[in-house]
Amino acid sequence: MSPRPTLPRIHPASEQTVKTHCPYCAFQCGMHVTTTDGDEPALRIAPDPDFPVNRGQMCIKGFTSSALLDHPSRIRTPLLRRGGALVPASWEAALDFVAQRVQEIARAHGASSVAAFGSGALTNEKAYLLGKFVRVVLRSPNVDYNGRYCMSSAAAGQSRAFGVDRGLPFPVSDIAETGALMLWGSNCAETMPPIMQWVLAQKSRGGSLVVVDPRRTETARLATLHLALTPGTDLALANGLLHLAIAHRLVDVEYVANRTEEFDDVRRSVLTSDPATVERLTGVSAEDQLRAVRLIAEASSSMVLSGRGPEQQSKGTDTVLALINLMLALGRVGKPASGYGCLTGQGNGQGGREHGQKADQLPGYRLIEDDADRATVARLWGVEPDALPRKGKSAYELLDALGPEGGVRALLVLGSNVAVASPHASNIERKLGALDLLVVCDAFLNETAAAAHVVLPVAQWAEEEGTMTNLEGRVIVRNRVRPPPPGVKTDIEILGALARRLGVDRGFDFDSAEDVFDELRRATAGARADYSGMSYARLRETRGIFWPCPSPEHPGTPRLFAETFPRPGGRARFHAVPYRPAAELPDPEYPFYFTTGRYKEHYNSGAQTRRVDALVEAKPEPRLEIHPRLADRLGVVDGGKLLVESRRGAVCFAVIFSADIRADTLFAPFHWGGKQAANLLTMPALDPTSRMPEFKVCAVRARAISSPKDVA
Amino acid sequence: MVRKKLSIIGNGMGTCRLLDELARRDGMRQYEITVFGEETGGAYNRILLSRVLAGESPDAIVTKPPEWYERHGVRLVHSSRVTRIDTLRRSVFTEDEQSRRYDLAVLATGSQPLAPPLEGMTRADGELRPGVFVYRTIADCLRMRQHARVGDCAIVLGGGLLGLEAAKVLSDRGLHVTVVHVAPTLMNTQLDGLAGEMLRGQIERCGIFVRVGRTVESVCGDESVEGVVLDDGTALPADMVVLACGVRPRVEVARASALPVNKGIVVNDALATEVPGVYAIGECAEHRGRTYGVVAPVWEQAEVLADVLTGTRSQARYVGSKLYTRLKVAGIDVASMGLVEPEIEGDEVLQVIEERRQTYRKLVVRGGRLLGATLVGNTAAAATLVQHFDRGDPMPDDPLEVLCALRSSTAASERVVCTCHKVTATAIREAMVAGAESVAAIGDATRAGTGCGSCKGELAQLLGVHAPHDRTPAAVPLRANRQSASTTTPAPPLPQRSAEPAA
Repeated sequence: MSPRPTLPRIHPASEQTVKTHCPYCAFQCGMHVTTTDGDEPALRIAPDPDFPVNRGQMCIKGFTSSALLDHPSRIRTPLLRRGGALVPASWEAALDFVAQRVQEIARAHGASSVAAFGSGALTNEKAYLLGKFVRVVLRSPNVDYNGRYCMSSAAAGQSRAFGVDRGLPFPVSDIAETGALMLWGSNCAETMPPIMQWVLAQKSRGGSLVVVDPRRTETARLATLHLALTPGTDLALANGLLHLAIAHRLVDVEYVANRTEEFDDVRRSVLTSDPATVERLTGVSAEDQLRAVRLIAEASSSMVLSGRGPEQQSKGTDTVLALINLMLALGRVGKPASGYGCLTGQGNGQGGREHGQKADQLPGYRLIEDDADRATVARLWGVEPDALPRKGKSAYELLDALGPEGGVRALLVLGSNVAVASPHASNIERKLGALDLLVVCDAFLNETAAAAHVVLPVAQWAEEEGTMTNLEGRVIVRNRVRPPPPGVKTDIEILGALARRLGVDRGFDFDSAEDVFDELRRATAGARADYSGMSYARLRETRGIFWPCPSPEHPGTPRLFAETFPRPGGRARFHAVPYRPAAELPDPEYPFYFTTGRYKEHYNSGAQTRRVDALVEAKPEPRLEIHPRLADRLGVVDGGKLLVESRRGAVCFAVIFSADIRADTLFAPFHWGGKQAANLLTMPALDPTSRMPEFKVCAVRARAISSPKDVA
Repeated sequence: MVRKKLSIIGNGMGTCRLLDELARRDGMRQYEITVFGEETGGAYNRILLSRVLAGESPDAIVTKPPEWYERHGVRLVHSSRVTRIDTLRRSVFTEDEQSRRYDLAVLATGSQPLAPPLEGMTRADGELRPGVFVYRTIADCLRMRQHARVGDCAIVLGGGLLGLEAAKVLSDRGLHVTVVHVAPTLMNTQLDGLAGEMLRGQIERCGIFVRVGRTVESVCGDESVEGVVLDDGTALPADMVVLACGVRPRVEVARASALPVNKGIVVNDALATEVPGVYAIGECAEHRGRTYGVVAPVWEQAEVLADVLTGTRSQARYVGSKLYTRLKVAGIDVASMGLVEPEIEGDEVLQVIEERRQTYRKLVVRGGRLLGATLVGNTAAAATLVQHFDRGDPMPDDPLEVLCALRSSTAASERVVCTCHKVTATAIREAMVAGAESVAAIGDATRAGTGCGSCKGELAQLLGVHAPHDRTPAAVPLRANRQSASTTTPAPPLPQRSAEPAA
């Protein structure tokens, strides 16, 4: 046993140190936030050595996260648009204005013309309350959230195959135990650095690591085998691996017979995914395909974890299903340290998708089109089932419907910077501008708030309580470190105040987040994501409980599927998912692939991280990654400027040479807005099931420019 | 809406793909589809026939069992041969003189094996003599399986893709196999002479005998096959003869229906024949003067036809296919695409030959674009090359860059612990060896941990794991070892067999 790591000195525990969690990604690192006096910074942040997920590690974003709390550009008073400019207003005036406009718009254009857009950054309580607010107070079907842009494909795939969707069906510590780990389209060494301790432990125990990514990322550098596939061909590769598994008799016939159904369809469907065909589509050689499948099939345990790479495609759900098919065929799902999992992105991407801020769902993963589910929730909410709206529009479709043409006239946005985060961003910017009422609840004036009629300043992560459900399905309490500054309110207070003004007193007058949680957990009783046995006290005491947890005595469920799958008959289901190409492929006019991703230093639309000096210093602007050979062809030097154009927009990037990217592919991070927004280029083609946009592949052309004049 | 009647004649790989593509485009709502298939049962993947020959159940390669057709509302008329279509009355006639009306017809009749007229090959009734086989259908494979016994002698006539595949399977089943190939080198459609010679070496190493530049003159035996006589007079005993001399388009239905036929059924870029309402795809079709005998073009044609017939992309057009061939036989790596030899004076040829390791790589480049490539023995670059070939991507000034491109697989490289300052695990260990005993000291020495701090926990762990050992004197040789290891060249792999004179 190695001794416990000696960590940077943590101030002696006192009433000034609070155990809480990082405001960023789904790993939800445990952290100690210490409030100090004197010349030191007001807050000091250290990773929590005892939280079993990050075990004393944390990334640069977590270390610098306190910079946002006292940030000078933080909004501390409501803003109302008067004569073209946002001017300070009282809470009373701002809320009255919102309520009055909402009523006018709903009266003139119908209840469904008022919509809300939520976020995977919201706590479970807020996500729950937002869904309830839209259905009960606004009586609109139109609520959705940016999780559609995150893991909706993985969620849809898991639900269809397993009957339930939990990012990981096991604790992250299982990663260290697995014989072969396949990271598919995840650059977690940069996007989720503290998870790497588990990956490295797995490797140091002699495990093998296969990384599938068009780029040789920091993660791919660690791999035993890196498959640098062509963007948008993950589905072909996954089907090809199953073809080889069958051809080489690596299928666990007994498992397939006893625990699954519909294998025959899949077996027949992958017959045409022979190595030569797959090689031609993916650029992954037949030899490497076989090496990969042997590594994962011949190890005594193995897991595939997917990131956004395969998921953010117009066939994301099918691609996830193909990965699941593979792991089912190898007999791995539900076995120790084995199976399929999704590395959820947003802080509460998991909880956010469970509690009803999604257009087709009610709390606890209940379905809004299911009569029994409607009845259960309606009873709890004290309304008639028929009064609940039906299924509404999904994220991109909702945003695309903004304005007089689409019929959505008013939009309330919580915790999301949709102007930057959406594909074909210029279209969304135009649509936001066509709204009769745009209300943004945020701590900062982000790109979306710039178009708002009303901006409501909200409390930040360390200033309010709430629960988050991390990528493992572990529910944790984010404790409050200090009270919010004067002039800001919590989202829960805002929704309550608006409900009251819109004539609904009951059901929104909560005194605390804990009270909301108490209602939430009752709403999930008996549902798939069952929280009913949890309480703040239990969650604090245990450092998190895995759902389902149906009773106060229940220990929670760290591992799923060991015995059965929550589907009729208890079996997992295979799905035949034949390959289809991306919605847009390179052609003579737009000859290159364009793909997007993240920097370690920044988070999603950058609304938070672009305000943190240390992060901006490290990565001040997006750089377009280009292979030197392609750069040579285009006549651009390292550091020079390249104008990249798709059929939807153009962005001028400074380039950085890298031999780690395919010579037919350009890469840019998506953390910036305005003229540097990668999403000006991306494609709004949607997955037919998950409604996930195709962020990860589109066709572009590029030319070197020597001066800004050239950008005509 | 009344659905139009779509009749598809033939139930091979083209039809199978066409049905999938129609289904994906919701074509079953537009068309009431009837498929006529000569063979029994549903469609299967012909390129996997060797699996059946090798002993797997035929069902292992069936892509669409009869239930599939039922489930998708497609009428399957199997075990039934179409004799002609009356294109004016729009009716399909089967051999039992049943007729069925259609609005649109697609001929996908595929191809049939070429059977050279060898003396003694057939019986008086015109059927193949027992022991003589073609290799085209599941039924052919089952017949061969039934016939072939361990220790038998098999003559495979034809050293192309199919012949070599059959030879390998029969050899694996314990037969003494001789491939007789008329051209001077194997797979001469896809490989040049040198590549064909190297392939011969690989084939022979598998235990198969090869006679090139030879053909079979006659088949001998009373009832069943007992031997063959080659054109040089050599007589060889044989218990079976497999004909794998290529294929030709099956056009008899088209001819009987007065459709325009050249080498194949003549179609335009929309896969339409000049007779209204009649289309053709697959190996039976001739497009811009070319017929195809591999599956990828057939699939491309099926996609275009589905676009046209469903109106999904009614302006979709088929403009021809680029050919890519992989020999799918265990232990033998061959890839071939496009041109085998240069065609015009400006064509540049690049060849890399490793005689001892028996590898051969050749590129044909014109105007900076890849027009052809041949790889034998080392096909690691095939995937990258075929994408350049398919898309017409410009080749680098030095094409070797692509040919020898880093394998996509990598041995795990030196790990960066501190990604802010790109400090490797080795550098950190060296700092510890040099006396750094704390996270801060490592930071002073290497800058590790002084950026975001994410790696501090890991630095502490490394201190815990390595420090006690690394601080002992034994740590010094550790460093020396590492350096020497990096300068030592690994021994070259031993050749697999004794050297043979180069051909």
